[in-house]
Amino acid sequence: MVSPIYILIMSLAVGFLLSIIDRAGRKISLTAFYGVLTFNVVLMANWLYRFVFLHVPTLVINTAGFKAPISINLELGLMEAFVLFFANLSGLLAAVYLFKKFKETQVSSLILYLLLIMGANGLVMTQDLFNMFVFLEILSISTFALTVLKKSRETLSAGFKYMIAGGVASTFFLLGVVFVYYFTGSLNLGNLSAGSFTNVGLVSVFLLSIAVFIELKPFPANGWALDVYQSVDSGIVSIIAVVNSAAIGFVFYKIMPLLPSEFLTVFGIAGIVTFLFSNMMGLKQDNAKRLLGYSSIGQMGLLLAALIFTANVQPSVRYLVIGGLFLNHLISKAGLFWLAGIVKQDKIKDWGILRSRKPLLVLFGLFIFALSGLPPFAGFWAKWEFVKVLVDAKMFFVLTSVLVGSLFELIFLFRWFTSVVKNTDETNEQLASPGKSKATPVIVFGLMAVISSFGIMRFFYEFNWIQVLPIFAVLAISLIDSLPSKVKGFLSLAAVAGYGYYIYPLLENNLQMFFGVIFIIGSAINIIATLNRKNQSRGFYGFLLMMIFSFGNLLIASTYLEFFLAWEFMTISSFLLILRGQKAQRASLLYLIFSTAGAYLIMVGFSFAPALSSSGGALINVIELVNLPLVSIIVLAIGFMIKSGSAGVHIWLPEAHAEAESDVSPFISAILLKAGVFGLLMLGISYISFTPSFDVFYWIGWVGVITALIGAFMASFQEDAKKLLAYSSMSQVGYVVAALAMITHLGWVSALYLAFNHMMFKSALFIAIAGVYYRTRTRKMYEMGGLIAKMPLSYITVLMSIIAVSGVPPLSGFGAKWLIYTAFITKGWYLQAGVLFFASGVSFLYLYRLIHTIFLGQLKYEHQDIKEAPVWFIIPQYIFMAGIMAISMFPNLIIKPLNVIAMKYFDSSIQIDGLTVISELGHWNGNLVMYVTMAVFAIPFILLLVLKGKTQKVKQFNIVYAAERPESPQTTHVAHNMYAHFRKALGKWTLPRVQLFWDSVAEWSHTLGGFFRRVYTGNGQTYILHIVVYIVVMYVVMGVK
Amino acid sequence: MSIWLRVLYAFISVSVATVYGLMLGGIVRKIYARVHGRYGPPVWQPFLDIIQTHSRRVAVSHGNMFLLGPVFRLAGGLGTYLFIPVIYGSAVFGNFSMAGDLLLVMYFIFFGQLGMALGAGNGGHPYSPLGIARGLAQMSTFEVPFSLAVIAVAIQYGSLNITTIVAAQQGGFMNWTLFTNPLAVIAAMISLLGMNMHSPFSIVLAPQEIPIGPPIEMNSSFLGILQTNRGLFAAAKLVLFMNLFFGGATNLLEMVAKTFMIYMFSVFVGAAYPRFRPEQSFRFFLKWPTIIGVLSIIFISYFGGVL
Repeated sequence: MVSPIYILIMSLAVGFLLSIIDRAGRKISLTAFYGVLTFNVVLMANWLYRFVFLHVPTLVINTAGFKAPISINLELGLMEAFVLFFANLSGLLAAVYLFKKFKETQVSSLILYLLLIMGANGLVMTQDLFNMFVFLEILSISTFALTVLKKSRETLSAGFKYMIAGGVASTFFLLGVVFVYYFTGSLNLGNLSAGSFTNVGLVSVFLLSIAVFIELKPFPANGWALDVYQSVDSGIVSIIAVVNSAAIGFVFYKIMPLLPSEFLTVFGIAGIVTFLFSNMMGLKQDNAKRLLGYSSIGQMGLLLAALIFTANVQPSVRYLVIGGLFLNHLISKAGLFWLAGIVKQDKIKDWGILRSRKPLLVLFGLFIFALSGLPPFAGFWAKWEFVKVLVDAKMFFVLTSVLVGSLFELIFLFRWFTSVVKNTDETNEQLASPGKSKATPVIVFGLMAVISSFGIMRFFYEFNWIQVLPIFAVLAISLIDSLPSKVKGFLSLAAVAGYGYYIYPLLENNLQMFFGVIFIIGSAINIIATLNRKNQSRGFYGFLLMMIFSFGNLLIASTYLEFFLAWEFMTISSFLLILRGQKAQRASLLYLIFSTAGAYLIMVGFSFAPALSSSGGALINVIELVNLPLVSIIVLAIGFMIKSGSAGVHIWLPEAHAEAESDVSPFISAILLKAGVFGLLMLGISYISFTPSFDVFYWIGWVGVITALIGAFMASFQEDAKKLLAYSSMSQVGYVVAALAMITHLGWVSALYLAFNHMMFKSALFIAIAGVYYRTRTRKMYEMGGLIAKMPLSYITVLMSIIAVSGVPPLSGFGAKWLIYTAFITKGWYLQAGVLFFASGVSFLYLYRLIHTIFLGQLKYEHQDIKEAPVWFIIPQYIFMAGIMAISMFPNLIIKPLNVIAMKYFDSSIQIDGLTVISELGHWNGNLVMYVTMAVFAIPFILLLVLKGKTQKVKQFNIVYAAERPESPQTTHVAHNMYAHFRKALGKWTLPRVQLFWDSVAEWSHTLGGFFRRVYTGNGQTYILHIVVYIVVMYVVMGVK
Repeated sequence: MSIWLRVLYAFISVSVATVYGLMLGGIVRKIYARVHGRYGPPVWQPFLDIIQTHSRRVAVSHGNMFLLGPVFRLAGGLGTYLFIPVIYGSAVFGNFSMAGDLLLVMYFIFFGQLGMALGAGNGGHPYSPLGIARGLAQMSTFEVPFSLAVIAVAIQYGSLNITTIVAAQQGGFMNWTLFTNPLAVIAAMISLLGMNMHSPFSIVLAPQEIPIGPPIEMNSSFLGILQTNRGLFAAAKLVLFMNLFFGGATNLLEMVAKTFMIYMFSVFVGAAYPRFRPEQSFRFFLKWPTIIGVLSIIFISYFGGVL
């Protein structure tokens, strides 16, 4: 096998020869140049293969024919091969990316580039400290020389700062090397260990390590690096961010065994601080490359911390965490830097130009998703395992910082992403074709991101194909995306049916089956409304299927990770669906931020949870044997409640519902919110068997009740029909949460009853409003009115639905009210029941507003010729109406199964006597109520027909009106600010306090980020001062004598 | 009991209640007139009104929902009444109370209100939705003390079954909820003022501001049906209050006496107080009656209702 030392030899040899062969023509020199880089990659690939699959031992290369320490030796093991393979691959691809430049510039750039790559290889392999210094210098100097490849004032200044900082670091490193030799008499890593350094000797390792650490750009001594990221050519920057960082990071890894554990802890915390602060400062950043710079620095801090804090865990987990973070950073960062070079726009708001090249846009999205640690990319798995490690080690400070930092990173990355996808500044500018040489590296890395994620899922976690199905759905639909929308719609319907057929036997429990009906059948009916899409709707059905399959996967998930994976897939797909809305940039971002915060809490909650003892099927079934610790219950509950839109964390909900496309909103409201309910039920099941001393669910109950009330109030004051429905959903799901929080039989029956009912009427309402919007092109209710005459079918749906929402008998809503109040009173939650009564009263306000301002009152002139909603909207509405009628007529259809479901966990609290349901407090015969209602309705109706005289239908405005004669529908239709009096009465109570709270949280974190950013003055001298002060501070903190 | 017999009984029960309710309406008009210093119409005036409205040759309609509004309203009144057992132990006045309990009655009240609101909305007159918006807001607030009182009653009797609640109050007036759980009764009686929409809570009809509000466009038979309902629905509400708080009734006479007294409470208050502005009314219900309602729950659940 070819020794890796040839990498060094070839690079040097060809490097020297290049200046000569270049005279024979650039083609020849370029061939040699790329030949060497390719050789490096192939060689390392081969070694990596041998280490991974053939398990060959670590290779030790003695130079000059002597064994260490007499001569310098190199080592190549699995870790080295892994890092070097990817570093060399990035080197090669970056060189391909720079092809045009290399063709034109002086040959010296090629030489420098080879030297840089060689330096990185040498750094990783060498075992000798002085040799390390030499490679470090080679790396620094060649990097500096390359930074000024693009000659401008900024690059020169940045390069100069870079060199100075590098120089300072090198000086310290050299001093460290001298001291190490002085104290131990050796410079070979093989001969050194932490024990070799005591007392004064610690100074030597301190100097050594701090120098390397400074090279890794810790906050705040990293201003010099940011300028480089911002101003230097993208191809070169990608090398600095990826290859240099990897090599220097690996150096740190190699000298870690020399450091006492206190040092390591401080370094680890410094890494985490860097991660947190870089990302916080990234929040205020609007320059794309500088933003990536912040992210790079942050990622390296995280990687370093992971290296240190996973030192004692199982190697396979450690490999996944470090390898995952490394690979994720390498692929996505290089990819994004390359894209930055293609787009050539400094400001992130100008990146909308990327939309003109769809494949590049997809790749951009891919890298953003990967970098944010979303599944299925490597960073996700690394984060999952890392969080687990941190929880097990009880490192809560680090844990919090990692999660908060990650959230910041996600915020600025997705602010960028959403602005690229949605930015409304219509520029007709077309992005120039990037050319093969620039596009190829990006595509290769995009593929690598995908392949590595599937690798991890297939070989590390050994997932079943069904867990990955959501991703395949996207891929499959993207293959047939050129088909008309309707065809894709029908295919999706078939796919959902097939999926339902497949998972049906896997639903062993009635509860799963119940949610299966909501998730799968509910979704299937809602798909019908999407068949109205006229345009091609590229990408829509893929993400829709992804979301629906993720719902289903939640039900059959058998481990925490599978559940969480499905959860995250659900979040991603719903985010992308919401983002399709015309003005959904802000709404979708808000949704993603809150969902991710929730997801992090769920991740932490699962990390606290004890391991599942047996593999006894789905999580929902085995969870009753799991004794969840209190902290786990609390964080999981908050995570799930974010998804169900509970008060306090609900502000994403109205925006997301309103701004999503009209046929997407029903999915979000009627089905997605139930996923949070499903999660809470899962917690409840464990809670029954293992009730902790602190009654968490009592407080969840209160949150649910308050949510119901706030949602109802907010809904009453909306002008936007979809926002009104969104707040109504919030309110209704508040009832569900409150009911299930009772942890009683009747509580669960009522929660499930309401969840099911809500799925039906809210789907119907959203689809009906979708039809109205489709015809009127407005969501503002005061711009409508009198549509009953034009859209009677939609009116009937809305009428029946609002009766079902309000709980007025004889429709199914009353069953929910009856069950809930009975449950609350028997549970002894009297005041909560009082609040719910209030919420229920307020709900009449918004329901009447919805139906009146749209359908009743005065018809607007512009709506004179409007038609009924398209048939694709009407069909699903009436399927849901049939469902509502069925369970209203025969409540037993649903009460009986729910009774059985809840009886698995509790003793039954109701008796079903024929058609009458008897509770501890009272009774209800829905069937008889229906008949009586029909009769009492029929009697006056007949009476009226008999008694009334000749009916004369009058025209619009023919009303008894004193004084002014009404002539404009606008001034005659009472709609705008309809409940002004109520708002006035409630005064300050109606202030959107939660919104104000979160606004100020956002404001503060941005201000704080902006404040810390001020340390970066742009002055090279100040930056050097930072470095020196940083070293002094670290010296003191570590307590080096 | 055969279904036809039950229907026959229901018919009798409804007829009695309607006649009684309409008479009550006549008496109220008389009382108000005297307070205002007028002679006032005869007590049978409501019957004359109904006959008069139904005799109109032409019924002006604004659409199908407008036409159905009054039907919904009367159906609501009928249903509400029919789900309440009117006279304790009476088969004739037992109605269809086996269909559901107190919660059913409370929610069936909304059936007519909602339907009427929709019909009125279809009328296209701006005063209708103004009145409805006021009415709904006021309703959401007076329901708070009322529901708290209902919860207190449910705690007290361990039941939401109206017959059970009445049964528990038998055996002397000291067993009435009025005396065993006075706070709940106070809260509920204040709510009743709102429900009956007499002054000071007459903001919905408010003749001087939004001339009679919701039914403004109603005419001929439409109005006639609404007037019929006004009698029946008033009776239904009064019977409900009597059952919950005043020991129910074992015969027709007791029923008439008790409900008359209950009604007179809101009539007297109405004759004595001027009208609130809407926001004053909303705030009022959310303040004192609500506090009293909460206290009644605390009183009954923590102290067992024993003074």
